[in-house]
Amino acid sequence: MSPSPIGRPLTRVDGVAKVTGAARYAADADVAGVTHAVLVTSTIARGRVSALETAAARSAPGVLGVFTHLTMPRLTVPGPTAAYFKRFLPVQDDVVRHAGQPVAVVVAETLEQARYAATLLRVSYEAEVPRVVLADSMADAYVPPPGNDGPNDYLRGDVAAGFAAADVVVETTCTTPLQHHNALEPSATVAEWTGDRLTVHESTQGIGNSQNALMQAFGLPRENVRVVTPFVGGGFGAKGPVWPHTVLAAAVARQVGRPVKLVLTRADTYTSNGHRAETHQVLRVGATRDGGLTAIEHVVTQQVSRTEEALFNSSEPTRMLYACPNVRSTQRAVRLDLPTGSFVRSPEAATSHALESALDELSHALGVDPVELRLRNWSDTNQETGVRHGSNHLRECYEEGARRFGWSNRDPRPGSMRDGGELVGLGMATAAHTAGGRPGSGATVTIGLDGTATIRSGTQEIGTGTSTVMAQVGAEVLGLPAHHVVFALGDTDYPPAFASAASATVPSVGSGVVRAATAAREQVVAAAVADVGGPLHGVPPDRVGTADGYLFVADQPRRRVSYRDVVRRRGTPVEVTSNPVPVPLGYSVGAVFVEVRVDPVTGRVRVRRVVGVFDPGRVLNRQTVRSQAIGGAVWGIGFTLTEHTLVDPHLGRVVTPNLSGYLVPVNADVPDIDVGFVDRPDPASPALGARGFGETPMTGVTAAIGNAVHHAIGHRIRDLPITQDKVIAALSAQN
Amino acid sequence: MPEEEPPSAFTPTRRTVLKAGAAATAIPLWPREASADSTVPMSLRVNGKVYEQVLEPRVTLLDALRERIGLTGTKKGCDRGECGACTVHVDGRRIKSCLTLAVMQQNREITTVEGLAGGELHPVQAAFLRRDGFQCGFCTPGQVMSAVACVAEGHAGSDDEIREWMSGNLCRCGCYPNIVAAVRDAAEELS
Repeated sequence: MSPSPIGRPLTRVDGVAKVTGAARYAADADVAGVTHAVLVTSTIARGRVSALETAAARSAPGVLGVFTHLTMPRLTVPGPTAAYFKRFLPVQDDVVRHAGQPVAVVVAETLEQARYAATLLRVSYEAEVPRVVLADSMADAYVPPPGNDGPNDYLRGDVAAGFAAADVVVETTCTTPLQHHNALEPSATVAEWTGDRLTVHESTQGIGNSQNALMQAFGLPRENVRVVTPFVGGGFGAKGPVWPHTVLAAAVARQVGRPVKLVLTRADTYTSNGHRAETHQVLRVGATRDGGLTAIEHVVTQQVSRTEEALFNSSEPTRMLYACPNVRSTQRAVRLDLPTGSFVRSPEAATSHALESALDELSHALGVDPVELRLRNWSDTNQETGVRHGSNHLRECYEEGARRFGWSNRDPRPGSMRDGGELVGLGMATAAHTAGGRPGSGATVTIGLDGTATIRSGTQEIGTGTSTVMAQVGAEVLGLPAHHVVFALGDTDYPPAFASAASATVPSVGSGVVRAATAAREQVVAAAVADVGGPLHGVPPDRVGTADGYLFVADQPRRRVSYRDVVRRRGTPVEVTSNPVPVPLGYSVGAVFVEVRVDPVTGRVRVRRVVGVFDPGRVLNRQTVRSQAIGGAVWGIGFTLTEHTLVDPHLGRVVTPNLSGYLVPVNADVPDIDVGFVDRPDPASPALGARGFGETPMTGVTAAIGNAVHHAIGHRIRDLPITQDKVIAALSAQN
Repeated sequence: MPEEEPPSAFTPTRRTVLKAGAAATAIPLWPREASADSTVPMSLRVNGKVYEQVLEPRVTLLDALRERIGLTGTKKGCDRGECGACTVHVDGRRIKSCLTLAVMQQNREITTVEGLAGGELHPVQAAFLRRDGFQCGFCTPGQVMSAVACVAEGHAGSDDEIREWMSGNLCRCGCYPNIVAAVRDAAEELS
């Protein structure tokens, strides 16, 4: 018998399409007669459009329409149920709320014509002075009403008493900068109307959100809006919420009576689909001499826009992770004339960085090893909810990670380790992120007369391996070889699924597949035992096993019949659809160890080694889960060392809206990354023991790098990113 | 830049320059004068097949491939030569197709990701698949084309050399270690 389809490093089912260029992303949709739209965006950050000269643009060759707030039809602003957070639609009035806001849309026969005509538009503004610098507006900080992760002022225990009981108290202030997702695929929409029916080829992490937003914007019933997304070229949160360009593309397509393709430019993506808001964080940690935490107080202040106040950098690590009886977490907002933020891969990374850096400072203050300190405060219970984790093997992650890394060889004294002219630093941190706790998903399982299964669900393939892993899950439950199961996604005609976000796909879509496949299997078993001439006739259904495409008697595996024969003799395909069932909150954890080398002359920090050992519950596919862990580490390197979006403090414009000013890690920035997994099922998981995992591995890496830099140079750089100028300044101050 | 490549692969010949100049005369000196008929016929040889196109001279090779010829495997990530998603081969050399005009690439052999595989996957494609050298797949056509050239140039001699010579292709999913492994495998197989 073949081994279970679960856990194996099964090669991606969509891999051949991706390496041959056959995979079609939104902007690749082959739509006859498609025209091209280009956004004209605001050059001011605050004020109003005072005049528009459109004649030259309208008469330019190939132009089909120039749409401004004076000519664009009125649209309904989609609401939060559509994950539309922006609370306003641009090109509907003359108000400018941030630089880069669309003020016009030009449609032409070709992209070149649209782009050229857009340059002919003359927009005049009445500009007001924008406020865009967080540090200058800290006095305006306020605590918004409960948001994405509950109340923004959280308290357990008695924090004052906790600090009074502490032998050591460490207080730190750190900042993390404005950052952008920079998925390699810029968001794209191809909108096509047939009468009052709209089909949209969309680059989105949530086709259901896009469908809802378009229904609301145009007042259409669900059956009139279809969203199709076979592949997504990276999302990382940029494509989770719905943004104006999707609605604008559909609106202008209706106006010109032709299909319209709108692909954001790289520069557009810096103001069109959210960002990781800048944070300012103050963290106080108190502990007894032996390292037991007595109190944590964490105040995080972050930017929001003028039009909404959702906070996307959540303090969940502070509230949930460590056993500490007295915790206060306050999440504050400062309104600035910048675009609306969004979730960005591992939204808990910014606060995790502050917490894990503070714990490193505490370990130095106490003289307790950083691993020991974390082991001392480990908990098997979510400290915020009080609910015990289904499983939590974090202690094994610390031990296995330390062993692989050679942590015991570390001289704990900062600045003590050198290799030639380079300063060597070793640091570690805990990785932890919520996973799931979101709406569920449905799936349809169809077993055809050939005995193979097709599973459909309205989820998305954002690169995490959903198509592959969900086929494995279906195959496991049904007892089919993995290659006899096809998983189809990315179409709102399929059962609804939660967005590919929040590390929720495995529990949400996975459990939907498990429920539908379980019921489909029961029907096939029922048909087999009812089949008078069949080999399993009369066998109690609970004694029938399924594996490798066969049904068999549990203790007589040779007495068997193939799926194909059962369904064929039944005469009709078996089809079962599961309904969405909300999934419990999971918590996926790990331990990350990093070695850095610092050049004391140039201040350059290079990450030399990363070791990460994680507990994602049961591993569904060793290859795809490993790739997610590696990807998280690469994001951690960018977050900590290179990535920051610079905004002109006077004009409010992004001055690095590209990939040469904003530095995402390149191949040469990334060392070998050693990844390990505990791989034990979480009994609380509704998806074969697997938890969501994608956002966990970036956390931990950031603080581990920062802690390693401190270990190397003896100075803690608390304002990210840790760039060469800051390292040189720190080293100069010491000398 | 590799030294062993024939000069013709690098240096525009006098004839090419003249041709490009002749095409360029079709562009009005000031773009404001552009009109609907400012197009020129051009012949592009892509993956061994000739495509006769009538295009404005300002059309990039990338947009010609994607929007006119319909070869959408080549991707646009930044449109300014920073990400490498649009990497194709022109006369065997890897270039960023967003940074060149289609009209400049006539009478050359253009190879895109669609032209790499014959009946079966090219060893580089097979290695990317085996090593999971991608996640979302959007940068992958550019990575694969760059990797084929990287091996052919002789820049895959060590992991560090691969990292350096593959650093013109960004991967935001962060698959770099797997990409290095794939290029290493392919270099061994192709040597």
